[in-house]
Amino acid sequence: MSALREVAARYRPSYLARLPQEVTSFLVVALIGTVVAFVIPEFRAQEWSLWVIYGLLALSFTFVWGHAGIFSFGQAAFFGIGAYAYGVAGINLSNATGESLSALVVATLFAGIAAGLLGYFIFYGNVGDVYVAIITLAVTLVLLTFMSSTASPKYHIGDALLGGYNGMIAIPPIMVGSFTALDSRQLLVFCIVLAAAVAFGLHILLRRPFGRVLAGVRENELRTQLLGYDVRRYKLLAFVLAGSIAGLAGGLYAAWGMFINPSVFSLQQAALVAIWVLVGGRNSILGAFAGVAIVQGLSSSLGEGGGSWTPIVLGLVLIAVVLFLPSGTVPTIRSLVRRRLNRSPALPVSQEVTIARRRELKDAELEGVLAGGRDASEAQSLRANRLTKQFGGVRALNGVDVNFLAGTIHCLIGPNGAGKSTCFNLLIGRYAPTAGEVLLGDRNITKLRPDARARLGLGIKMQVPSYYGDLSVFENLWLASFARLRSAGAAEGQATRTLGWLGLSAKAESLASALSHGEHQWLEIGMVVAGSPSVMLLDEPTAGMTREETQRTVDMIRAVSRFATVIVVEHDMEFVRALGAPVTMFHQGLVFAKGSIEDLRRDERVLDTYLGRSVSADAAN
Amino acid sequence: MQSDELANLAISLLTTVSILVVISIGLAVVFGMMGVINLAHGEFLMLGAFFTLSGQRAGLNIWLAMLVAALGVGVVGLAVERLLVQFLYGRLAATMLATWGLSLILVQTVVLIYGPTTQGIPTPLGSMKIGGYSVSEYNLVLIAAAISLLGLVYWVFTRTRYGTMARAVTQLPNMAASLGINAKGVNMLTFGFGAMLAGAGGALLAPVAGVVPGMGQAYVGRAFMTVIVGGPGVLTGTASSAGLLGSVDSIVSNLTTSFLGTAALLVVAIVLLRVLPTGISGRTGRQL
Amino acid sequence: MRHTIGCGSLSRCLTPLVAGSAALLLVTACSGGSDDAANSEGPIKVGSILDETGPLNIYGEAMADATELAIKDINENGGVLGRQLDLVSYDAQSDNAKYTQYASQAAQKDQVAVLMGGVTSAAREAVRPIADRTETLYFYNEQYEGGVCDRNTFNTGVVPSQQLAALVPYAIENFGENVYVIAADYNYGQISAEWVKQYAEEAGGSVVGTEFIPLESSDFGAVINNLQSTKPDVVVSLLVGGNHIAFYRQFASAGLSDAMKIVSPTFGLGNEQVVLSNEAEGITVAFPYLQEISADENETFLEQWYAEYGDDYPYVTDSAVAVWNGWHLWAKAANSADSIEREQVIETLESGTTFEGPGGTVTMDGPSHHVTQNITIAEANGAKGFEVLSTEEAVPPSFEQDVCDLISEPETNEQFTP
Repeated sequence: MSALREVAARYRPSYLARLPQEVTSFLVVALIGTVVAFVIPEFRAQEWSLWVIYGLLALSFTFVWGHAGIFSFGQAAFFGIGAYAYGVAGINLSNATGESLSALVVATLFAGIAAGLLGYFIFYGNVGDVYVAIITLAVTLVLLTFMSSTASPKYHIGDALLGGYNGMIAIPPIMVGSFTALDSRQLLVFCIVLAAAVAFGLHILLRRPFGRVLAGVRENELRTQLLGYDVRRYKLLAFVLAGSIAGLAGGLYAAWGMFINPSVFSLQQAALVAIWVLVGGRNSILGAFAGVAIVQGLSSSLGEGGGSWTPIVLGLVLIAVVLFLPSGTVPTIRSLVRRRLNRSPALPVSQEVTIARRRELKDAELEGVLAGGRDASEAQSLRANRLTKQFGGVRALNGVDVNFLAGTIHCLIGPNGAGKSTCFNLLIGRYAPTAGEVLLGDRNITKLRPDARARLGLGIKMQVPSYYGDLSVFENLWLASFARLRSAGAAEGQATRTLGWLGLSAKAESLASALSHGEHQWLEIGMVVAGSPSVMLLDEPTAGMTREETQRTVDMIRAVSRFATVIVVEHDMEFVRALGAPVTMFHQGLVFAKGSIEDLRRDERVLDTYLGRSVSADAAN
Repeated sequence: MQSDELANLAISLLTTVSILVVISIGLAVVFGMMGVINLAHGEFLMLGAFFTLSGQRAGLNIWLAMLVAALGVGVVGLAVERLLVQFLYGRLAATMLATWGLSLILVQTVVLIYGPTTQGIPTPLGSMKIGGYSVSEYNLVLIAAAISLLGLVYWVFTRTRYGTMARAVTQLPNMAASLGINAKGVNMLTFGFGAMLAGAGGALLAPVAGVVPGMGQAYVGRAFMTVIVGGPGVLTGTASSAGLLGSVDSIVSNLTTSFLGTAALLVVAIVLLRVLPTGISGRTGRQL
Repeated sequence: MRHTIGCGSLSRCLTPLVAGSAALLLVTACSGGSDDAANSEGPIKVGSILDETGPLNIYGEAMADATELAIKDINENGGVLGRQLDLVSYDAQSDNAKYTQYASQAAQKDQVAVLMGGVTSAAREAVRPIADRTETLYFYNEQYEGGVCDRNTFNTGVVPSQQLAALVPYAIENFGENVYVIAADYNYGQISAEWVKQYAEEAGGSVVGTEFIPLESSDFGAVINNLQSTKPDVVVSLLVGGNHIAFYRQFASAGLSDAMKIVSPTFGLGNEQVVLSNEAEGITVAFPYLQEISADENETFLEQWYAEYGDDYPYVTDSAVAVWNGWHLWAKAANSADSIEREQVIETLESGTTFEGPGGTVTMDGPSHHVTQNITIAEANGAKGFEVLSTEEAVPPSFEQDVCDLISEPETNEQFTP
């Protein structure tokens, strides 16, 4: 395959060489599509236009679910909205303008706006995944019921009668100007060109920063938020884009049949979209079209026989796909082909870009890492006053005051259940405090969401491992860097430097999940550092590490503390001692003792708590 | 409002709630407890109705036919679990796709065997007069059946050995396995039990609904909505959710039109999920 | 789980594409359309699209059976222009997009001389633009809400201005003035409800309540309650589909059969009386055709039917006979015009072709493209059948005649509503 690539590269004409690969591929597809359209019989062109249109609808679902991780049952709804919008706009406008392309634009925009409204309600209302599926399904069904009852002539928009369950009739076909309507073959070419443009456009988009962050949102939403990304905005944008694509498909559908009725809003249609994508391959762009071709092709050819076995055959095929092609048709075929050709597994596309353009890696100085971010002297202080958190009947934190001075290291210790992690979570912003406030530098951040705090310079590594297992090590660091730098190139540089500093350069292209446990911890520390924070919160960074790894971590943290305030929660007393930093001990939701580790080791009360002898919290002073 | 009208409305409301209970309880076990999205649930209901039909045609008394039908669907459930579902645990999307395919097969198989139109089951018992209103006595049977099914589920899961094992397996499969519980066998039985409950629901519906092969489609949406709003608790969730949604539907339908009743049900479900994202019983964290 | 996007690079995209296109071209080369369209000797290709699977097959299967029998019958009697008919039939699986697709296919690949099909009005509306554009003659053979006016389309199904015009006055005269309407919540139900109101008022009655029930709903508790508090004399049921059968059952089990009479123009189309047996007793209907009509034509027809499909066939519906009538009308017109060319067949049909159907004489009304036919009023006998009460002969499609004149205005293309 790489031989082919070289050949293609060598023989590609110079003017083509400057275009992105996607554009070249797009032109090839358009060309092949045109040839095919004029070779096949006319009725087949009619049939295949429908499949391309359905493929576009499936693609919208592949994007919103496979790439953005949002299980939206509502793509059929936006499809239908686009179709009706095209009908209304087409009937009202085309007599005046002689073309219906404007109606197609209206369809896409209208569906996009609808998606925006619904998406705002869903994502800014902070709701869970199952809920998204339910509410999008409910919207679809509500539209079904509503549109089915608009039969009376009083339901019309301009000249367009809504038509109720019978549907809207006399919808104009695609006309390109001066009332020239496209015939079946021309329509097929039109659909292919549009669909290819969208597909390749998405492909490009997914390799750009927006797409790469979207992958992060999908893989681990919490992590992405804690890196400083406003995940709601990304999800909303993805949702609107998917809705617009579905709307475009809907407009084409209405033009194709010159007719639209509410059955596009049915449960069957909504489920069919998911079925196409599952058959084709959950996040495969090509799979969206393949899935449609397989499922629709099968049901069409069965229906031609006029047989009553269609549903049974279709059902068996679906079950077979699930059992034997679990990741979908296209990915399975791809991996088979790849294994045959003995190639190494493909990386996410987003990283091929970076591998191609990455410079030589060398071990870098930490200054280089942090200087990639901002001025190293901006370490800030982190303070909390009277921090209290009540969970139901349990008071996890009982009026805690902490003051971590800028540019210092600080350790938090305490037995399990003492309130360390709760305190952490309040500092990060995952929970709102029942009482009290948090200040970063001079700024009161008590009311800010976690991603806002991250953007202000608060970096977090959590206790539970939280990285992007299915992305490469480099991509993990790139996402962390991009959050602050907001420039793809600068982020690459930052990620490269961080990789070097961590000593993981050799593993840049490995999947993050393939690292050893200690390396996971360093990766996470690296992700925090790459964001050039002014305050770093590390929750148990040496959990599960070997002695050597722990010592290395001590060095890392000492190095980092020259540029940022570092607060570490730990159980490992050797680590705490090696770090040689001031210690705050928690017990039963209060600050129990403060001082150096030596002081605390000599404190009888501290020993009592750790050894389980009964000590009451007001022995603290 | 006069007392007979009130009594009539009360029975009407309880009937609507009971219908929701009987169509949802099977799904609550399969989806709520096991986490399996069974899109063929409507077809299990439908099979229950058709088996009842066959049983009656074979000469069985209708109550016996219903019982046999439920058991029959239970057996079908065991087969489905063995042949299909057991390979798909934890894979939500794959389960959806596979059970959708299964529903297509089941519907068309029934069409091929029974034909697209069928003989029906007349509603047993008669009607009774409440003041100026007459009410079908079968509605009372439905109410009693709903309560009995809830009771049956409670008894099975708390008072039998199987029940305890089932609850352990669905909570912590690996832990249960390491305690020596045959998780595969228990899962099979649980799915079969859920299918049996669905079959019972369909059997109970047969006298009041039109028994056609496509009847499952009309109920599966409402069943899912009831189970999701109810949350993880099989009993508390289903009962409270059916109670709330059914009441809303019934009251609004009686005051206005049945279209608005369904719309109100949907709106209440959405609002409830917004406020209690894990369902009504999610707060209490109870498994039953 | 790996996460891959697209195919990754030009060469990787290209190779499968080239391979795929080559395969496509091979496939299409082998599946080309028939070039012997203008063959004037061999069999005549005719097309049918119906729902043989999916929820609409409770209507569609009988219609498909009627199609095959009609073609066989025509062929046995010499065919059309001495040529046999070759039927190409498609199962649209209750999916509208398939109607569009198969209509194109029938017109462009099979190049049928005439296309018949569609169960719901939505299906008809999906087919019409394709039939118009490909200039393929189209027959819609099923009861519907009336009003379609399109030169390329002929309708043999019964319409409200025939059916309800007979049924509603009958009900008011015989059962009482107060009418409660329960209708399926979509075009057919909504428009027919308007018609009921009109005919009721003309006959001196009044509509005391109207309710619309969604097609997928089967819970009629609220409806039953409303009926009990309103206490009408007549309940006009415009319910459609398998889920709505539940209404009749719940009505009977609430013991309301003695208090009010149900009349319905849709009861029986989906073999409801077979499903319900004794709960159906007393429900009054009106159709151009009922199996129980005693006429020679019907006897011969039923003999043929049972010979082909067996004695235990549940019930031969009016939809099936509408299909039968449609095929025979076309065959007769084509033979009369001595041509299967669309223009000439249309002209012949517009001159008023008649046919002796199993339900009586059926005459194509030229200007409106609908048929004048008998309307028989009957009552369900509780034993899976009907008892004929009276027959009105040659009932014209009065509304359609009022609004639609395709002979003088052939460019009209819309559906009129009351």
